[in-house]
Amino acid sequence: MAHDSHAKTLPADLAAPSFVGAWQGRALMAGAVFSVIAAVLAVAEGSLEHLLRAWLLGLMMAFGFAIGGLALLMLQYCTGGKWGLLLRRPLEAMSRTLPLVFVYWLVVALFMKRLYLWAQIGDVSAALKAGLIDEIQAHCIAYKRPMLNPAAFVGVSLLCFAIWWYYTWRLNRLGALRDTQSADSTPFWIKKLENISGPGIIIYALTMTAAVIYWVMSLDPTWYSSVYGLLFLVSQAYAALAFAVIAVVSLAKADPIKTVLRQTEQHDLGKFLFAFVMLNIYLAFGQFLIIWSGNLPEEINWYLDRIRGGWGVVITLDFIFHWLIPFTLLLSRDLKRNRKRLVRVCQWMIFARFVDLFWLIEPNFKDAARNLHFSWGILEYAAVPAAMTAFWVAYFCMQLKTRPLVQTNDPHVAEILEPEHAHA
Amino acid sequence: MPPREGTYGLLAEFDTPGDLIRAARQARQDGWRRLDCYTPYPVEEAAEAIGFHRNKVPLLTLMGGLLGLGAMFLLETWISVWAFPLNIAGRPTYSWPAFVVPAYEWTILWAGLSAAFGMLALNGLPSLYHPVFNAPNFRNGATTDKFFLCLEALDPKFDPASTRSYLETFAPVSVVEVEY
Repeated sequence: MAHDSHAKTLPADLAAPSFVGAWQGRALMAGAVFSVIAAVLAVAEGSLEHLLRAWLLGLMMAFGFAIGGLALLMLQYCTGGKWGLLLRRPLEAMSRTLPLVFVYWLVVALFMKRLYLWAQIGDVSAALKAGLIDEIQAHCIAYKRPMLNPAAFVGVSLLCFAIWWYYTWRLNRLGALRDTQSADSTPFWIKKLENISGPGIIIYALTMTAAVIYWVMSLDPTWYSSVYGLLFLVSQAYAALAFAVIAVVSLAKADPIKTVLRQTEQHDLGKFLFAFVMLNIYLAFGQFLIIWSGNLPEEINWYLDRIRGGWGVVITLDFIFHWLIPFTLLLSRDLKRNRKRLVRVCQWMIFARFVDLFWLIEPNFKDAARNLHFSWGILEYAAVPAAMTAFWVAYFCMQLKTRPLVQTNDPHVAEILEPEHAHA
Repeated sequence: MPPREGTYGLLAEFDTPGDLIRAARQARQDGWRRLDCYTPYPVEEAAEAIGFHRNKVPLLTLMGGLLGLGAMFLLETWISVWAFPLNIAGRPTYSWPAFVVPAYEWTILWAGLSAAFGMLALNGLPSLYHPVFNAPNFRNGATTDKFFLCLEALDPKFDPASTRSYLETFAPVSVVEVEY
C-alpha cells in the first residue's frame, strides 16, 4: 500500500507556468512571419489557387488537433488510467480551440467554388461539352449531386460543428465543475463522464467521417473509399496524441506537471503513440492493397494520380516519414523514457502528418495529378499550414492558461504522487 | 556434479516494495554484487536498484523479426517469380504489394518466438530447483504480499554473522539463512 512518508504532495499552485505565455507569444510571431511568406508566395504565383489548397491542409491539421483532442478526451474518460489524468487538461484545451477551426472552415466554405470541382460545375452537360470535365466526372457529379452540393456541404458541416461544440462544451463544463466538489462525488463523476463519452466516441466517428468526406474526399468526385473516415480518425489521434505528449512533457519543466509526470506514465504514452503508428499504416496500406488487388478503373486512378508523374517519390517519403521512422524509433524503451527524444519523435510525427495531407490533397487538382512539378504556389503548402498551426498553438496556449493543469477530484492523483514502485 | 552444500545466502523479508528498494539500493551502494530481489509482481525499480544490466533479448527479437521478414519475402518472391509463376490479372510476377502481408506476419511471429525463447534461453528457465524456496516464509509470501532481498554467499563480502547484522539495519520483518 501507499506509504504517506514517501508520496509527493501536489503543489499549491496548479496554474499553468508562466512560460506558456512565452510559447503563445512565440507562436503568434511564427504565425505572423509565415502569413507574410504565404502572402508573398501568393503574389509570386499570381493566383489564390494554391493558397486555398494549402489552407485546406491547414484546416485539416487544426481540425485534427481540436477534434482529435476531443476524441482522446472522451477515450480517457472511458478507459480511465493515469495517462488520462496527465493529458486531461491539455486535451480539454485542445478541444476548446474549436471556434478557431470553425473560422478556418468558413474560409473553405466561402471559396468552395475555387476548391471543389462539384461546386464549380453548375451545368454538367454544358461543362462536358466545353471539355472542362471528362465523362466519368460528368457522370459522378450528376449522380452524386444530392450529396455533393453547396447547401449540403454547409448544412452537414454546420451540423457536425454543432455536435462537436456540444460535446466540447459539456465535457469542459463538467470537468471544471467536478473539481469544485468534494472527494465523495468522485464515483459519480467517473460514471457520468463515462456515460457521456462512450456514445460521444461513436458520434465523433460518424460526424468526423462525414466531415472528411465532404472536405477532402469530395475534392475528387469520382473516387470513394469506405475506410476513408477511419483513416482520418486514426491519423487525427496520431497527430493529436503526439501534440498532447509534446505539451505535457514540455509543461513538465515546471510545477505542477513536474510533480505528476512520472517515467512510468511517459513510457505508457510512448507505447500508445506506437499503437497509433501501427494502426495508421495498417489502414493506409490495407486500403492500398485492396484497391491495388481490385485494379478497377473506378478506383485505381486515385492511386495512379498519386504515384505517377513524380508522386511516387512523395508516397515513398510519406511511408518512410509516417511509419518507418516513428516505428523504428518508438520500438526503443530508452527513447520512450527520455523526455527530449520522445518530444523530438512527436514533432517528427506531426511533420509527417503534413506530408501525408499534402499527398492526399494536392493530386486531386487537374494540374497536379500525375504531375508533381514546382511552382511558387506549391511552397504555400509549407507556409500556410505553418501559419495556421502556429495561430492554433497560440490559441491553445491561451486556453491552457485558463484552468489549473491537474484535475484534483480524481483518485489517480493520489496514485500518481506515489513513488513509481508502489504499484505494479 | 555433486549436490552443493552450505549456505546459499541470507534472505531478508520486507512488507513493502519501498522498503525493499531502499535496502537493495543501499546494499548495491555498499558494494554488494551477488544479490537479488524477489517480488510478487514486477517492480521495475527493484531491477534498477540492484544494477539492472542490459540483456540480449531485444537484439534476439530484432534479429528474429528481420529473419522472418526476409525469409517470407524471399520465399514469396521465389515462388512467384521462379518456382511457380502465375499470370494473375496480368500483374507482373514480382508483385511486392501482395507479399507484404505474409512477410509482416512472419516478422511478428519470429520476433515473438525469438523474444519468448530467447528470454528462456538467457534466464535459465525452466529451473526445477532454487534454494530460496527452502525458506518457509519465502514459500508462503513470495507470490502474494512479501518482498525479499537475498544477499548471496558467493559475494566476497559475505559473512554469516556480519551480513545478518548488516541486513537487520534495514529493519526487515525477518532475516533467515537459506541452505542450498
